[in-house]
Amino acid sequence: HPSRPAPPPLERISHVTLVGQGNVSLDVARMLLTPPSVLAKYDVPKPVLEVLERSNVQHVSILGRRGPFQAAFTTKELREMMNLPGASMVPLDPAYLTAPEGSLKLTRQQSRTLQLLQKGSNNKPGTTKKTWSLDFFRSPTGLTTPNNAGDKARLSLGHTILDPSNRAVPTGETSTLETDLVITSLGHHAEPSAPWYDPSLNHLRTLSGRVVDAGGRIVRNVYASGWAATGARGVLVSTMMDAYAVADTILRDHFPEEDVHTTPISESDAGAGGGQDTPAAEAIEVLPKHVEADTFPPEVEAWLREGRVTDFEDWKAVDAEEVRCGEAMGKERERMVWEEAREFLASARPRNIDITA
Amino acid sequence: MHRPKLVSSRAQGRGLPHNFIKVHFKDAKGNLIRTVEANEGDDLLGIAHEYDIDLEGACEGSVACSTCHVILDPESYDKVPEPEDDENDMLDMAFGLTDTSRLGCQVRLTKDLDGLTATLPAATRNMFVDGAPPQPQPPMCR
Repeated sequence: HPSRPAPPPLERISHVTLVGQGNVSLDVARMLLTPPSVLAKYDVPKPVLEVLERSNVQHVSILGRRGPFQAAFTTKELREMMNLPGASMVPLDPAYLTAPEGSLKLTRQQSRTLQLLQKGSNNKPGTTKKTWSLDFFRSPTGLTTPNNAGDKARLSLGHTILDPSNRAVPTGETSTLETDLVITSLGHHAEPSAPWYDPSLNHLRTLSGRVVDAGGRIVRNVYASGWAATGARGVLVSTMMDAYAVADTILRDHFPEEDVHTTPISESDAGAGGGQDTPAAEAIEVLPKHVEADTFPPEVEAWLREGRVTDFEDWKAVDAEEVRCGEAMGKERERMVWEEAREFLASARPRNIDITA
Repeated sequence: MHRPKLVSSRAQGRGLPHNFIKVHFKDAKGNLIRTVEANEGDDLLGIAHEYDIDLEGACEGSVACSTCHVILDPESYDKVPEPEDDENDMLDMAFGLTDTSRLGCQVRLTKDLDGLTATLPAATRNMFVDGAPPQPQPPMCR
């Protein structure tokens, strides 16, 4: 990670608690529970593998405020947990394994999640040293750190139930979980100091893909799509469709006389304002009015000279070097961190060249 | 004497014309986009790309997304082997899923699929309401 945090002392840790039940949470659990020998042939960097090889993690608890039908993980990631070599899932309370009565029909994804949970992990409970659990209807309320090294921390948990609008509300019951490491995985926040960050959304605010500032004014010619615009929701297909929609907005803004689309609009879009829209809204300008199409902006030219910007040829050189180093170690690639890549490029692709060549 | 027409360049190295399998690509409204010919063993995503049909395949056929989702005609759907778990996991997240939906990258042509129709699903775009905050969970009451 670019911020270079110190790795957690996994050799002193046997119980890990993850707060949140999205795909990122399952990714963390999967990395902690997969034998390092299995990971070694992919692209996990050597320093990370070394930490995992020292790990004494035995159990990972994955907490969620609500139940299996509200969890944010998707079937593929849940299935990978169920198929973990050398780890098994603690069986769920049977009450969680029945569809809620009376409520709306389960979606296909919810039905298949239910089937997976009913089937349980490939490795049967009690047959493996390492285990994991999905702890539904649990919300952390406090953490007490241990007085002596080697003792466990105590995570206080409030038990929850769903109200009629499917929100978690406390039941009043509480319990305590002894653990060595608590990791929160509760969604994505953009960098708060970045331009046009909206604190109520934790990301940019947009209108049909056009970025909107704190005063509600459209920032002309600045657009955003995908997770930058929507927060960490949806998978590749939804992000792709959002990209097409924003591309259509860009085309409409710049060719107002023409009926241009990237994809055909469905009937429902045409009515719902997805077609003709807005802006009589006030707009602000932040970009230069005129640009030279044939040269880079002066800042980019300077950064290219300094080696702070990598071009595609640089990327290919780093890619080839990572694969070459990986091959020598029997793995897919051995990744470089940014400083290593810059050093490598400084010698492999010196900057005393004409940028425009 | 009348000489037979030369086989088209697309047919080179692809076997004899009478082995070709016809595939009809339709848009969401049911209009024919194009009828193409392909070989046994070709997958629908590869065929679409070869003939410049707008079927996205973001993960390049690695069953890690649902962007190559197509709707087959019921007769063809029944002839194709059932999807495996990993394909079904991706279909869970496809938009406009139907009873005869498949991932294009996983449907391989066989001779008995001659005349198969693959319909591209409708793309709706109002999935994220502009500017409106997502439905957040309120903080827990103590």
